[in-house]
Amino acid sequence: MNAVEIDHVGKWFGQREGAPLHVLQDIDLTVPQRGVVAIVGASGCGKSTLLNIIAGLIEPDAGGVRLFGTAAREFRNWRAMTYMFQEDRLLPWRTAVQNVAFGLEAGSMPAAERRRRVDETLDLVGLSRFRDAYPHELSGGMRSRVALARSLVTEPSLLLLDEPFSKLDPTIRAQMHSELLRIAALRAMALIFVTHDVEEAVVLADRIVVLQPYPGRVRLVQKVALDRPRDPLSEAVTEQVRHLRLALSGEPVPC
Amino acid sequence: MLVRTPEAVLRRPKAGFVRTHGGTLLQRLALIGLALAAWYVGSLHAPSFVLPSPARVWTAWTGLVATPSFAADLGITLGRVAAGFALAALVGLPLGLALGASRALGGFFEPVLTVMNTVSSAIWAIFALIWFGLSNWTTIFVVFMTAMPLILTNVWQGTRTVSAEHLELARTFRMPRRKVLTKIYLPTILPAFFSGARLAIGFGARVVLVAESLGASSGIGYRLRQAADLVQTDQVFAWTLTLVALMIGLETLVLKPAERRLFAWKKASPA
Repeated sequence: MNAVEIDHVGKWFGQREGAPLHVLQDIDLTVPQRGVVAIVGASGCGKSTLLNIIAGLIEPDAGGVRLFGTAAREFRNWRAMTYMFQEDRLLPWRTAVQNVAFGLEAGSMPAAERRRRVDETLDLVGLSRFRDAYPHELSGGMRSRVALARSLVTEPSLLLLDEPFSKLDPTIRAQMHSELLRIAALRAMALIFVTHDVEEAVVLADRIVVLQPYPGRVRLVQKVALDRPRDPLSEAVTEQVRHLRLALSGEPVPC
Repeated sequence: MLVRTPEAVLRRPKAGFVRTHGGTLLQRLALIGLALAAWYVGSLHAPSFVLPSPARVWTAWTGLVATPSFAADLGITLGRVAAGFALAALVGLPLGLALGASRALGGFFEPVLTVMNTVSSAIWAIFALIWFGLSNWTTIFVVFMTAMPLILTNVWQGTRTVSAEHLELARTFRMPRRKVLTKIYLPTILPAFFSGARLAIGFGARVVLVAESLGASSGIGYRLRQAADLVQTDQVFAWTLTLVALMIGLETLVLKPAERRLFAWKKASPA
């Protein structure tokens, strides 16, 4: 059983004037359980739209999505999937531990169980000492960890990430990458992430889907069979990055 | 990387606060002294039924405090303000939230708010007199009609500051609408509610006197009118001073500390 199966998905957006904009055309994509898939492409190519369709936040106009073997329309176990945004989106009036707990507050759960899970997850991202700090007292990297913990506290089988960590500085970003891979392996999660950074895609993913614009469609699916952990400066990685950059710039369509 | 802000840095703004606080205290005392001096000089040149001297007002006030009806009148008036305000908060907060959270409802009811904000408290007092007669409800109604639109408007405005990003976050967790209201909307609008409530208490405490002097047989407003009818100007002054002291006390002893406690999460703004 695959975590996600996307079958000939198409999407149009209505425009104030003129014909509807064709955002996605005939997208096919399969993400196995525990798989790590990157979606790359220039900005405005429908990457985030595709992620939102997987998340069930947007309905596709054509084709269908199956999540863990169930058609998205019948899928009910949405808490098996969480979504991490480009911004940390922490609630400023809540402390770190309360922000993490937010992930569990949509459902109902005995208070003791909730507390146990929140503590465990904070520990997992290494933030137990800062549990009572407010977001404005935390550094960018720590805020990112809180947001990650909030996404992990529901113990999802699938984590969607929209340009995660893109606002962090490179060192902290690399830390978050290895942290994410460690936790994904530990928790047996599948990861789908959108990025415009090819290097990030090569370092993290075992499969990279390159989208091309107008309308957004799959240009290339690239398997990355390098050993982990991957050093972004190693020759194998830079070679892959160069190869993908070429593929991305193949067509002179400005985006 | 994982370094918490040193305690000394976190504490520094507080020290600054205490220092400036001492400065303002001196300034306030000087202001009070100046006002008293001006009052005293003025009273030397006017008959006491126009402007009684500070000493005379002081005597009147000590006499007033000693009367058994003083505490009763004070309690009655404060009780009416509190009841009117509590009702206003109880109605204004959920209504403002609902109107802010639903564009359709908000658009439909917007004119009602304009009407409520334009009608003078004196008109509400006259209506209340017609509907409720000489009863507690007359003043409570006037306070309510003054305070409720203030709270409602502020809460409504506050809902516009609710972050679309936070709402989207809640949506990815499939949070039910009721919980989104209590966990995202409510905390976001709390500062706006607070400033609305502060305005509402201030206005409520003022209009309660108008209402009481028109349509009550007890309370401070009633006593004020009685004193005015009997040309006991020193009594009017004594009551006025009592009210001013009460409002300042409420502000510095209740509202300010409550605000500081509630919004401790806010980033300390650089002084």
